[in-house]
Amino acid sequence: MRTSRTLGIVMIAPAAIMIFLFYLMPAILTGIFAMTNMSTATGISGGVFQVTQGAVNRLGPDMPELASGIAEPRFVIDEEGLAALEALKLKPGYAAELRGQHIGEVFASRREAERVIKALKDRPSTREVKQISDLFNRSVLNTRFETRDALIGNLEKLGFRLKPEEQDKVARETYTGWVWTTDNFKVIANSPDMAKIFLNTAFYVAVTLMLFNVSYALFLAVTTHYMPPATASIFRAVWLLPRITPVVIYVLMWKWLTWDNGFISMFMGQFGVPPKNYLLDNAYNAWFFVILINGFIGASMGMLVFSSAIKAIPQTHFHASEVDGASRWQQIRYIILPQLRWPILFVTCYQTLSLLASFNEILLSTRGGPGRATEVWSLAAYHTALNNYTGNLEYGLGAALALMLVIIGVILSLIYLRIFRYDTLISKPLIED
Amino acid sequence: MRILLDKFSKSFGNTKVIEAMDLEVGSGEMLALLGPSGCGKSTTLFAICGIHRPTSGRILFGERDVTSLPSQERNVGVVFQSYALYPHMTVEENIGFPLTVRRLPAGDIKKRVAEISALVHIDNLLGRRPAQLSGGQQQRVALARALIRRPDVLLLDEPLANLDAKLRLEMRSEIRRLQKETGITAILVTHDQVEAMSMCDRIAIMKEGEIVQIATPSEMYNDPRTAFVAGFLGNPPISFLKGKALSGAFVSGDGNFRLPLGSLRDIGDGRALTLGIRPEHFGPKGDLVIEGKVAFAETQGRENLYDVVLADGSVLRSIQPVRDDVKLGDCVRWNLSSEAAFVFAEDGRRL
Ligand SMILES: Nc1ncnc2c1ncn2[C@@H]1O[C@H](COP(=O)(O)OP(=O)(O)OP(=O)(O)O)[C@@H](O)[C@H]1O
Ligand SMILES: [Mg+2]
Repeated sequence: MRTSRTLGIVMIAPAAIMIFLFYLMPAILTGIFAMTNMSTATGISGGVFQVTQGAVNRLGPDMPELASGIAEPRFVIDEEGLAALEALKLKPGYAAELRGQHIGEVFASRREAERVIKALKDRPSTREVKQISDLFNRSVLNTRFETRDALIGNLEKLGFRLKPEEQDKVARETYTGWVWTTDNFKVIANSPDMAKIFLNTAFYVAVTLMLFNVSYALFLAVTTHYMPPATASIFRAVWLLPRITPVVIYVLMWKWLTWDNGFISMFMGQFGVPPKNYLLDNAYNAWFFVILINGFIGASMGMLVFSSAIKAIPQTHFHASEVDGASRWQQIRYIILPQLRWPILFVTCYQTLSLLASFNEILLSTRGGPGRATEVWSLAAYHTALNNYTGNLEYGLGAALALMLVIIGVILSLIYLRIFRYDTLISKPLIED
Repeated sequence: MRILLDKFSKSFGNTKVIEAMDLEVGSGEMLALLGPSGCGKSTTLFAICGIHRPTSGRILFGERDVTSLPSQERNVGVVFQSYALYPHMTVEENIGFPLTVRRLPAGDIKKRVAEISALVHIDNLLGRRPAQLSGGQQQRVALARALIRRPDVLLLDEPLANLDAKLRLEMRSEIRRLQKETGITAILVTHDQVEAMSMCDRIAIMKEGEIVQIATPSEMYNDPRTAFVAGFLGNPPISFLKGKALSGAFVSGDGNFRLPLGSLRDIGDGRALTLGIRPEHFGPKGDLVIEGKVAFAETQGRENLYDVVLADGSVLRSIQPVRDDVKLGDCVRWNLSSEAAFVFAEDGRRL
């Protein structure tokens, strides 16, 4: 008993590991990344503290004094600088006088510091003045500090005495690594761009799904059902072609059709219409072709599922309904469609999810253009996280977009199950236990 | 409405199922199609209701040639062998379907469904789906669906096979009554000869796609044209004795038993013959004595059934009013009415 149980665990272990690594981990990581601000700039490992111009700008509104202070160079006469000066082997008097008279003094600008250096008894040359002042330059702007304490310590040396909460803020604003944040979702919720993309996605999924993946697929399945078997298989094979053609080539053919010197342009040229790129001409055309391209690929799966479901209806049901006086149309309406409820649910659900997640046809055809007219959610996630125009890949924001897509998909599936009354589709067993 | 099959043939690919069948069913008549499994009964029905197109030949309803008319335009009610109820509809929707597709008002449909379902005793099941019904209940739903739109022609493919004995008896007379009242022309396919004999005006016996004989039940019983027909009708079935003709009489294989052939006495000597004797013609009464041993005895309540093994090993069945003086293994000397015996040639033809 016990051995068989442990054996079971051993047997299932490889599968469990695979499931964890390749199914659960990506989802979990997406969730984790979504809660960070990771990007090319932050990297995905830890960061340092650095007062960048950007950080100064961010600090400006709350701490104007500090912001303007750290933005300027600062010069401090300290032991560190004096040691460096001695190492330069200039006249020893410089270091001695600075240590004796000026140690600990802070100058707000290079000019002030150089005035003091120039006034030294040993009269340094102009070149030497510049050389010496450099050694005492303690500006924090663009200096990297490995730890927070180093940053705060340096600011203190420069005369900025910060309260703990001010220290927190400065540390937060100057940290260059990634941090935990829910800002991604705020960005998504507040951005008008994302609202547009959301509407694009809804339009694209709804129209492709209803017109092609379900209606057109049903139409194909029903018409082939009423054809002689040999003809029907030929037609089904033809309608499968878009699915089995490599998508790059399939989309390329659409491009040939729609390019400025493509088929449509050539044809319209016969009537004196100047050639143009019909694919990217305007948003309406772009949508028209995007939906056609996806629709023709997507319809084949529905057709196969529906065809086999229709085949599963016993022949006698068709015979009986004919004898009962049902016309073709009534046969479709009363016999075929009601029995296709489950396949329709399945195809709707499955295709919604794949349409939400797939963007390769759009990427290959319009790249989301013209402008961002055909940019959909998943393409936006791709552009944000993996292929940004500006070069700063925002992994965190991209992951948040992907996560929302998953959540929307799950919610939609639950809604579908309700609409199609999933529980009534599962017939109760005749034998009760 | 009269149904006429004129040289009707049907083949599926290379398999010929029916060849040049002629059949006429009179208006308002009920005909039983009787025959072994696979002989083409369902195929014939399917051609009449328009599901199968005949390979050749014509089908006429009245004077109208319906050979190439689709099912929808024939007004035929069919009870399919497999019921063919629509699984996604309730019993009520199933029965009302022929009216629904005719776009009758919902109220009328409801009323007629209620009427017809009361007739077949399923008015308490209207809300259920076919999967929630017993075989017999499904069969009655199918019957109601076939009857509801008052068809000109009613085709029943073993409509009572799944019912219990009492319900079967009830439905038999119910169907017959309905058919007579409405004057529907009906064809009933059945394996059950009692059903065929009790319900139908005429019986057609089929074998391998051909109609062997078509006659009224009593004609068929008393005057079978072949050994096949004689063997098909009657319960318990007829028994056959093998032998040959010898100087104007039938002589059994071992020569122990002679039966004068009467009008057939001119048959040439040595010709192989088969004698058919119905169980009711072998018993205490008769003109010819036969000796044998009781190999099987069974009481059916009012009657007893015996199998008697003769000296040459052949078996004669006997049915007699209940008696308790004969037991298994007894030697009996019973009589046979030579007039009632059927004589068949070697190929099964009745002589
Ligand atoms: N669609 C078909 N294709 C090929 N052969 C068929 C087809 N339908 C029926 N047959 C053959 O035709 C013959 C007659 O079939 P049919 O269904 O008419 O028999 P039946 O008399 O109704 O038998 P049963 O009493 O068992 O129902 C059978 O041998 C069967 O195998
Ligand atoms: Mg049959």
